[in-house]
Amino acid sequence: MLHFVVVGILVIVTAILAYFGVNILWPLPLAASAQAAPIDWMWNLQMIAISFLFALIVVPMLYSLIVFKRKKGDASEGEHIEGNTRLEITWTILPLIVVLIFAYLGAGTLADTRRVDPNAMVVKVTGFQWGWKFDYPEYGISSNELYLPVNQQVLLKMESRDVIHSFWVPEFRVKQDLVPGRVTELRITPTIPGDIYKVRCAELCGTSHAFMENPVIVVDDAGFSAWVAEQQALAAGAAQTPEGRGQALSVANGCAACHSIDGSGGIGPTWFRLAGSEVQLVGGATITADDAFLAESIKEPQAKIVAGFESQQMPAYGFTDEQIADIIAYIKTLR
Amino acid sequence: MAHKQDKTSMLNQGIFIFVYLAVLTALEFFVAISFNSTAVLIAVALVKGALVVYYYMHVYKLNAEHEGDHDSYEYKTGTNRLGLWLFLISDSFVFGGLLVMRMNLLGLTRPHLNQILGLGVTSILLISSFFMNRGETMMANGDRKGFLNNTLITFILGLGFLTGVVFVEWPLAAHEGLTPSSGAAGAAFYMMTGMHAFHVLTGLIFLAIVWFNGRRGLYDEKHYPTEAAAVYWHFVDVVWIVFYPALYLIGTAIV
Amino acid sequence: MKRKYTLGSGFLFLLIAGVVGYGIGLGLDLLATGRPHFSAPVPSAFTILFAFTAFFFGIYGYRGITRGLVFQIAGTLAGGFLITGIRLLMGLQAFGGFFFTEPAWVLGGIVGAVSFLFGVGVMSDWVKWARGIDTPEFHEDEPGWEKYLGVSLDHKVIGIQYTVTALFLISVGGLFALIFRTELAASGLQFLVKDMSLFGQNGPQLYNTLMSLHGMIMIVSILLGISGIINYVVPLLVGAHDMAFPRMNAFAYWIAVPAAVLLLMSLVLGGFDTGWTGYPPLSAKAPVGMQMFFLGVFVAGWSSILGALNVIATVIRMRAKGMTAMRMPILVWASVATSIIALTATQLIGLSFQLVMFQRLLGMGFFDPAKGGNPVLFQHLFWFYSHPAVYVFVLPGLGVISELLPVFARKPLFGYRWVAMSSLGIALVGFVVWAHHMFTSGMNEYLRVPFMYSTLLVAVPTGVKFFSWVATLWKGKISTETPMLFVIGAIFVFLLGGLTGPPNATVSTDLHLHDTYFIVGHFHDTIFGGFVFPFFAAIYYWYPKATGRRMSEFWGKVHFWLMTPSFLILTFGMMRIGLLGMRRRIADYDPALGFDFTHLILTICGFAIALSVLVFIINFFRSIKHGEKAEGNVWNSRSPEWQVPSPMPAHNYEQPFEVVGEPYDYGLPGTKYVEFAPAKSGRH
Repeated sequence: MLHFVVVGILVIVTAILAYFGVNILWPLPLAASAQAAPIDWMWNLQMIAISFLFALIVVPMLYSLIVFKRKKGDASEGEHIEGNTRLEITWTILPLIVVLIFAYLGAGTLADTRRVDPNAMVVKVTGFQWGWKFDYPEYGISSNELYLPVNQQVLLKMESRDVIHSFWVPEFRVKQDLVPGRVTELRITPTIPGDIYKVRCAELCGTSHAFMENPVIVVDDAGFSAWVAEQQALAAGAAQTPEGRGQALSVANGCAACHSIDGSGGIGPTWFRLAGSEVQLVGGATITADDAFLAESIKEPQAKIVAGFESQQMPAYGFTDEQIADIIAYIKTLR
Repeated sequence: MAHKQDKTSMLNQGIFIFVYLAVLTALEFFVAISFNSTAVLIAVALVKGALVVYYYMHVYKLNAEHEGDHDSYEYKTGTNRLGLWLFLISDSFVFGGLLVMRMNLLGLTRPHLNQILGLGVTSILLISSFFMNRGETMMANGDRKGFLNNTLITFILGLGFLTGVVFVEWPLAAHEGLTPSSGAAGAAFYMMTGMHAFHVLTGLIFLAIVWFNGRRGLYDEKHYPTEAAAVYWHFVDVVWIVFYPALYLIGTAIV
Repeated sequence: MKRKYTLGSGFLFLLIAGVVGYGIGLGLDLLATGRPHFSAPVPSAFTILFAFTAFFFGIYGYRGITRGLVFQIAGTLAGGFLITGIRLLMGLQAFGGFFFTEPAWVLGGIVGAVSFLFGVGVMSDWVKWARGIDTPEFHEDEPGWEKYLGVSLDHKVIGIQYTVTALFLISVGGLFALIFRTELAASGLQFLVKDMSLFGQNGPQLYNTLMSLHGMIMIVSILLGISGIINYVVPLLVGAHDMAFPRMNAFAYWIAVPAAVLLLMSLVLGGFDTGWTGYPPLSAKAPVGMQMFFLGVFVAGWSSILGALNVIATVIRMRAKGMTAMRMPILVWASVATSIIALTATQLIGLSFQLVMFQRLLGMGFFDPAKGGNPVLFQHLFWFYSHPAVYVFVLPGLGVISELLPVFARKPLFGYRWVAMSSLGIALVGFVVWAHHMFTSGMNEYLRVPFMYSTLLVAVPTGVKFFSWVATLWKGKISTETPMLFVIGAIFVFLLGGLTGPPNATVSTDLHLHDTYFIVGHFHDTIFGGFVFPFFAAIYYWYPKATGRRMSEFWGKVHFWLMTPSFLILTFGMMRIGLLGMRRRIADYDPALGFDFTHLILTICGFAIALSVLVFIINFFRSIKHGEKAEGNVWNSRSPEWQVPSPMPAHNYEQPFEVVGEPYDYGLPGTKYVEFAPAKSGRH
């Protein structure tokens, strides 16, 4: 009997210590969305249960190992206990009930994260190898940065251009895959303004998956209106010139995900000071990167491959000749 | 159920079962062209499959008690039967997966296919099962000549089925625009018929082996290989019993 | 005249053939592309294949595995050239970026794998049967170690072949892990940089390939490892002289060897950057390595399926007299439960990979949305196997825990029936939980809640096991030799894996946890607790049975006390950064997240684990000759295999035994589990 009392006390003490330990060892990131609250609540509840169950198994196990350890030279056997049906039924039924309760609460918290605000702002999210594009149909603008007004629900309508990606901002908690050929949805209500957030692709999507991270910026209403106005003005101005249109195209198609615009290394050749330069092709020949070469490289990426970039195939984008001319005009401004 | 194991009643049973199967196939075809009830088609396919599994594949033999030494031929035959059935269970998960794929991609539509040809190859395979059953029964009762003749007929019919699917049906479908790369319907059709045809091919090899060995004089006492070949052949037939409605009959045809 | 083969000649041949292979590969590459690629896929592939083969030639001569590998190389080339020739005749492009085109590599891979089986000689009895020639029931094996490199029908030899191959693959997979663990030690790309090129891949691609192969090679090694334990032990436990189908048993082992070769070839043939899950559409675009990976997994799957079939048939048909279902050793129950899953569900991963293979080869649009396909369908087919697969991995390990605990606690297994049934319960529930891998995948949303309920139900039978284990220890007379240490470690680590499971199974919390390092930490806990620790425990425990010697206790304890803390820190750290925002499968991470220090610790722990496994491997091979002699009932067990002297004779028990009691009645004087028939001559 004494054994049970000691173990019982130890289990309770260990469970409490384990719960505090878990909270120190496994902190959650900042909770910055309305959807984070029910998830964090559920997580906390699970940690309580886990701490208790951990103590319930580990304490009697370690206790047995210490107290019932065989003494040197002792050749006797342990007590002959075959089992106890009542005990077995108990530890089948009780966990079953706990599990059902947790599943019920899990479904409830899931529903909480999916509360629909009919006035939610719609943002069209496009994922591609390897970047993100965000379209705001209400304002007619698109961007590679996700600007969100604080405390307003946003409905993300997400599509993928090539392979499966997954939208995840750790501080917002919720996650949803982008599947080619269909539109998936996610609702987020950011609650804390800031520019520390990033949308990070959570589903392996190829070579540069690790780098598929775009900034997410949460601002107050005034800041959001200002940003929208600024973007609209920029877009209107850019549409006037070929290089402006080219830049817009490059944003929309995520060219910078592979072709850097500042001379840094990437999956494809950098655009910085590319126009007019001498480039070495696979096979040893050199060629001047004139308009014809650039146009061909955009149209038929596999026609001439720059040395050092054999291992990655650029997809064909199906631009019109005018669009290609705009993009080349934009590339020429990068020097 | 008690089973009379003498030769005549076994052969008669084979004939009865074949008549049932033929009638059910006709019913199935009639249902498909007249009022297209998916539920009825599934029910008919299940009944046909159950008939073949029970009467042609003798699934009940798994229950037989084998007294005595673990090293005796009888006991080992029981083990071999179990092994073959376990293999068939495993294999049927492939075909199950293909059915899931077909249901997921096509739902209640089906590829546009030549109905007469479909019914034709289905009948050929069903008839081949009938002869296979005769051949196996005869060998089990020591009738080598009957076994060789019936197995040869089975082999020829099987070859006919394979030709019908791979060298007639495929080119015809491709001619009408249904190719492996034409879309989900084409992909499902070629994958399912192709996987089944591969099993038919292995079944034919199996039949050829037991036929040649039978001609060489084996299987007087130890005739389990003939039974195994037959059970495998019937299994391939059962798969087609399910695939035939899944590809040719259920749902509406899309071009 | 018999040649004397040595390790020295093996390495000499390895070097020569490596150079020759490199030359041939470079020549072919030159022929196909017009210029030499010194670090390119084709020379590398030939180097590896030739060197590997020549090593076995050097130590073993042209027979058995060497002959198999030679056949595989020849078969691969034959299949490849066949397609290349056909393409030449049809006026299609004959050579690709990897010398052969993709279809040529696929057919080459298939023909190579089949050729291996003929070359190694595992098919010869069947070929004879097909030609109407009877063969003897048993084949006598060569004495000494040489029987392990050729075809043997003895389940004990095959068990050891499986185990050693598993250890080899664990080392390869672990080596890959060390490479990318080192890459992750700090943020920023360290040596797998963007402008490098090896095997036709740049740094991040190579990272992805190594990470993907780490996953699959470990999975294959686990499948081989459990087959090793089951093959060696289960026939002994049930009192059979061999498995039900000894030839198929050998076949199931030998088919795993070309599978391993195919998997390794996927690394050099351009790799694949999809993870072991191979989700399309990404896997439909990956390099040729993807196809080699699919083929390798497909072939390894057959090994698993046929092995499982054999186990079920053996347990049903070959049990000793008196061994009723409720008197079977618990490991036998676990093996049956695991085999039921492996027999059936494995077909689905094979099928899902085949479908992608054909999508790539023939443009069939199963998973291509542009052709009416459905990418999510792949995930359903794939996870229908790949979730139950983890129960395949852990159930035998849990069986080993249940089998060993009573021996070292000197008490009956608490609630035998409940433990036995909980294995079946886990296996059966395991069939209906697969979609919990897809909570964020965009599948039909109403599926999420039912799959949450079914997944959480797994906790119930697993809980029964834990409670029963603790109750078994309670009031025992516990001794802590190395096998018991690993059993305790297994319970502890598996407990952590089990407890971190429900948050992933609950949809709401999984929305945060899915595809993070939390998952990585969680499943490493379950696999280490459910497979790695019990696997080591089983090896330490049954080693004397196989060799007549014990492994060193001291080094066994060093192994345990080095591996366990490092591993715990590793997974706790993984889960910590996963919660904070570390995604799975990334070659690099944002320094702003502040994970550098934790990753450095994790890397150090990774190397510590590798060191401990190295200690184990040295102990394993050294003890064959130098271990302490142990020919009797080392652990004072009631189990039949320990009632006869070690090492086990070739045809197992000379006298059949009859089961006359309960398997785990420790502490009940005067009882026996088995009684051997009176000896006709001499012994007992």
